[in-house]
Amino acid sequence: MTLSIVLLILFSSFARAEWRFEGETGVVYNSNLSNSDRSADVRDDWAWRSDISAANGLQLTRDLRLNLGADMRGEVWDRFDAFNTIGPGASAGLRYRFGLGRQAPWVLLEDRFGYDRFHDTAQSGYDNVLNFQTGIALSDRIALEGGYAFESFVSPNDFYDRQVHRGNARMVFDVTSSLQVTVGYTYREGDVISYAVPPRPDIARFSIEREDQDEFGQPLRTAYKLLGRTHALSFSIAYQLMKYASVQLGYEYAITTHDPLQYENHLVEANIAVAY
Amino acid sequence: MRPSRGFVVLTVLVFAGDLLAGSLEVIVKDDKGRPGSDAVAYAVAAGAASAAPKKQAVVDQRDKQFVPYVTAVQVGTAVIFPNSDNIRHHVYSFSPAKKFELPLYSGVPAEPVVFDKVGFITLGCNIHDWMIAYVAVLPTPYFQVTRQDGRAVLKDLPAGQYTVQVWHPALKGQPEALAQRIDVGGGTKSLLFTLPLKHDVRAKRAPGLTTGGYR
Ligand SMILES: [Cu+2]
Repeated sequence: MTLSIVLLILFSSFARAEWRFEGETGVVYNSNLSNSDRSADVRDDWAWRSDISAANGLQLTRDLRLNLGADMRGEVWDRFDAFNTIGPGASAGLRYRFGLGRQAPWVLLEDRFGYDRFHDTAQSGYDNVLNFQTGIALSDRIALEGGYAFESFVSPNDFYDRQVHRGNARMVFDVTSSLQVTVGYTYREGDVISYAVPPRPDIARFSIEREDQDEFGQPLRTAYKLLGRTHALSFSIAYQLMKYASVQLGYEYAITTHDPLQYENHLVEANIAVAY
Repeated sequence: MRPSRGFVVLTVLVFAGDLLAGSLEVIVKDDKGRPGSDAVAYAVAAGAASAAPKKQAVVDQRDKQFVPYVTAVQVGTAVIFPNSDNIRHHVYSFSPAKKFELPLYSGVPAEPVVFDKVGFITLGCNIHDWMIAYVAVLPTPYFQVTRQDGRAVLKDLPAGQYTVQVWHPALKGQPEALAQRIDVGGGTKSLLFTLPLKHDVRAKRAPGLTTGGYR
């Protein structure tokens, strides 16, 4: 009985569901795609990145919304095509708002499960991100958001299995009716893969290694999987071109350490996003 | 019996007053001299009580936006909020002059909302955070929302003295601070208002800008 009522509510919600289609495309530059600590080993590259998604917002009660989505993501690197990837994903999220309206504090619990097929097939695998986010509006133009995410990547080749914990906080400023600026900080702790030209007994001591990787050409490198701690600061601006489209520019500086190893990444991103 | 001279004079004056109904053009600019659209210009007659409002007003919801963005009504007016989209909206107001909520609905709600207190009301939609609109509830039947060119024309004002004010969603301070007095007779008079306006930071609709966990 209860189940049939729940099913009926879900069905009637689906019937009146609201679809949202989004597409995003742009370029990303990574100053250290190889996550290398020695400057001689560092390889930078840029990629063309695209993402399309269809999502369905179901308002279950006044304050509770269920979002269901499906997406397809792809990345094509300019020089190091071993990192080219494409894959579908599906997500489900529940957002609860403590009250009415856009200024009400909110919490979001979301999970995305996807498959990433790499050009270098050994790296391919399943990716799951469990994400908890919360936010509060400090005024009509400033919002604080933050949360925790657990990412787990499982590959048939278990060298590429990774687990990462992420904590983040960001402040969003509405500068004008079409300009938004975001400043954020992320802390990541978990498995990272760093490429270096061997021999590196200093890294080998605390890592799992996989030898003779040709992702970055000659000389061959060793891929070291190790537990890294990353502090990342980011800054982005988004400009609304019209009600269905925006452009975004982002920069992130990240520093990853596992004593004595330390490497830096500068990430620059430019995107155009459209929604219907 | 012959009417007294005093009575004749009074009758003529009353008729003259009606005949001399005039118009008032209000020109609104922001503090940088640009035309101020979406401002509400209204004239309150000195002394006289206004007649009851007659018309209903409509604030539509089309393509997940309120239409129009700014609506002006006389106090006591009933406003209907039809939903012309094929998805549901949830209209609300937190404004002290009229707090209300029209929970998730499609089509035309059975009951209109009567705006029974003078004030400026901000409307939102609980589903689409970028949806925003305003209702100016005024103590007078003489009002108009300025067009793109920043102009509004108040027509058929009976001759007399008026206090003219202008309100705008982004106005810094209260409209009383900029009130102007004017005597209206026959013909058209013109008033200029320069409004100090805040930055418009209304919630954004485009992807990549929305916050609040919206997907
Ligand atoms: Cu809505």
